[in-house]
Amino acid sequence: MRKEMKKLLGTGLAGLSVAAMLSGCTGTEGGADTAQVSAADNGDAAVVGFIFVGAKDDYGYNKAAYLGSLAVEEKFGDKVKVLRSENVPETEEASRTLEQMIQQGATVLFPTSYGHLYPAMDVAEKHPDLVFYHQGGLECADNLGTYFGTIYEPYYLAGMAAGAATESDKLGFVGSFPIPQVIENINAFELGAKAMNPDVTTTVIFTSSWSDPALQTSAANSLIDSGCDVIAQHQDSTKTIIELCEDKGVYAVGYHADASELAPNMWLTAAIWKWDELFCDMAETAIEGKFDGSIYDGKYRAGIAEGVVDLASFGPSVSQETKDAINEVKQKMIDGTFSAFSGLIKDQNGNVVCEDGHTMTVDEAESMNYFVEGVIGTIEE
Amino acid sequence: MIKKLKGTKDILMTFVSLLVAVLVYGIFLIISGVNPLDIYSQMITQTLGNGYGIGQVIVKSTPFILVAVATTISAKAGLVNVGGEGQLVLGALTSTIAAVFLLDGFPSFIGIPLMAVAGMLGGMFWSGLAGVMRVCWNMNETLTTVIMNYIAYDIVAYAVYGRLKDPESFNWPMSPKIGAQLKLPEIYPGVSIGIIIAVVISLTTWFILSKSTGGYKLRVIGGNVEAARHAGIPVAATQIKAFLISGAISGLAGMIEIAGVEGRLRTTTGTNYGYYGFLAAWMAWNNPLAAIFTALLIGFLSVSGNVVEISSGLPSSCTKILMAIILLSILWKGKKK
Repeated sequence: MRKEMKKLLGTGLAGLSVAAMLSGCTGTEGGADTAQVSAADNGDAAVVGFIFVGAKDDYGYNKAAYLGSLAVEEKFGDKVKVLRSENVPETEEASRTLEQMIQQGATVLFPTSYGHLYPAMDVAEKHPDLVFYHQGGLECADNLGTYFGTIYEPYYLAGMAAGAATESDKLGFVGSFPIPQVIENINAFELGAKAMNPDVTTTVIFTSSWSDPALQTSAANSLIDSGCDVIAQHQDSTKTIIELCEDKGVYAVGYHADASELAPNMWLTAAIWKWDELFCDMAETAIEGKFDGSIYDGKYRAGIAEGVVDLASFGPSVSQETKDAINEVKQKMIDGTFSAFSGLIKDQNGNVVCEDGHTMTVDEAESMNYFVEGVIGTIEE
Repeated sequence: MIKKLKGTKDILMTFVSLLVAVLVYGIFLIISGVNPLDIYSQMITQTLGNGYGIGQVIVKSTPFILVAVATTISAKAGLVNVGGEGQLVLGALTSTIAAVFLLDGFPSFIGIPLMAVAGMLGGMFWSGLAGVMRVCWNMNETLTTVIMNYIAYDIVAYAVYGRLKDPESFNWPMSPKIGAQLKLPEIYPGVSIGIIIAVVISLTTWFILSKSTGGYKLRVIGGNVEAARHAGIPVAATQIKAFLISGAISGLAGMIEIAGVEGRLRTTTGTNYGYYGFLAAWMAWNNPLAAIFTALLIGFLSVSGNVVEISSGLPSSCTKILMAIILLSILWKGKKK
């Protein structure tokens, strides 16, 4: 027993002494000093923190947001210091990372994933003087605004490209979670495809994950095996599925960021984000103390007209005729004369969800919990 | 005298092995183009230099301590229980179910203990299954417990996508928040009494294992099963008992994660905590008291990993490399003896 005591004391003491030694190297003193030191390190620069749920090189959601954070860094130069953290889980771990950024002087924070919302809410409540911008959520707080883009608009356009490309009239869609922002995209994709090809159906598989390469592969494979010849997706990391499509010779519709280089032959197009200007403007608004009452204080949504969302480059197989048709609709969207969710729309069961002559508001679109006619799949309630 | 010398040597060797790990990792940092002294000083000052950071290390280490103690109990009985992960997750699930469906109207002093019991039962159920498979059907417990971890994730997913889903979450898979009165009391902002529970359990376990006859029996089985059988020790029953106690402790770790930290169950709640706990147990050579320190070390490394990433731009997974080097060098130290 004595031996055991010593062993454990050994482990413990050694651990402590290494820690003590290392802190000795740096000559730190109490906690208050440290906080001041790190704040002073930033000089006059305002500190903006970004947390990402995945990796910055995922050819998708996180790459798009990362590019936005780079834009902030480039635009403001020495005036702004940007902190980043990748692979932050959607749990209390996100709160911890946000708090650590605040310790380093961050006053503007971008929790960029849907599931970062509730952890961010907790942190925002504790720091009423800081500004939080949450990406893609449906809730806000006094100092937490939510921003997003109507990405379903370009997804409708991508659906048009898919509808024109398919020969089997069967499109596949690898979804993540059955939440409104995913359902909107699936519905817009099917409606866009139907505009080009009335017989087309979209089969949906949910992976219950933002980026699990194994689930993505098996979902895409089973869609391809069942005869789908275009695979679209709502995943954070798009690389796996797009490369699989190239290998198997089926068309790929990307998402979030332009990944045409991954599928030189089979790439059709993608709905993508262009966060640069928006992120810069949001950061500037908060740094200047103008967040309260600004357009970002609450629920902010921008669309294809504002340039926050767009369509990626077209692949080699998209015909000029299709491109023209898509660009025509895109122009109408920019002009405000057309929306993906307008006119008579029925759900899977034939119920009318949008009356003839009506155009859904963003709020209506963002509360979707049904698939439109032509989508094959179920939303678990 | 000789014993004393050996003890001093032990402390020295552990110290040296940690130092070696820090040095090796330093070389890695230099190769990655950053100054290791900067990184190490940031890790320490920004994590341990303020109350919040220290609190977070404690919060993060609490489940590691408990799972490490649980792993130790199984290990003493000659069982390699890698199922702390699944038992923790299942304990989180059963305690959340109890909190959401049964205990919502209960006051703290009844609700919290009942929630803890629910979590322990969940963990016990999961480890008990592995125990039965081991003892009755002679199935390798290392494999069954690992596989059961994955089943546990799926059961949690099934629950939070189904009946347990928060009706106000817009279809996002997570449970409703547990009642505010069911949250564990805090000893410091953000730090619940979970750490006290964990330390008390590890002290008790150490005492029982090294002092009581039950602990002695357990160690005999772990030392030599045949000898234990000849000595008339009921091997099967004792091993099952060890599994059940391990499961209860891991399940309690899941409950503390819900009631002390997260406040609700998500599909990713507690992911990998069980494996870190297992790591802590092995780094401590299955000594429940030493496991407190190794768990704190792992907790410190994972919390400070964020700091490294935020301030230096290195991926936070780099800290996992440091963790692996430390584990290897501690195992190496054990081998040398």
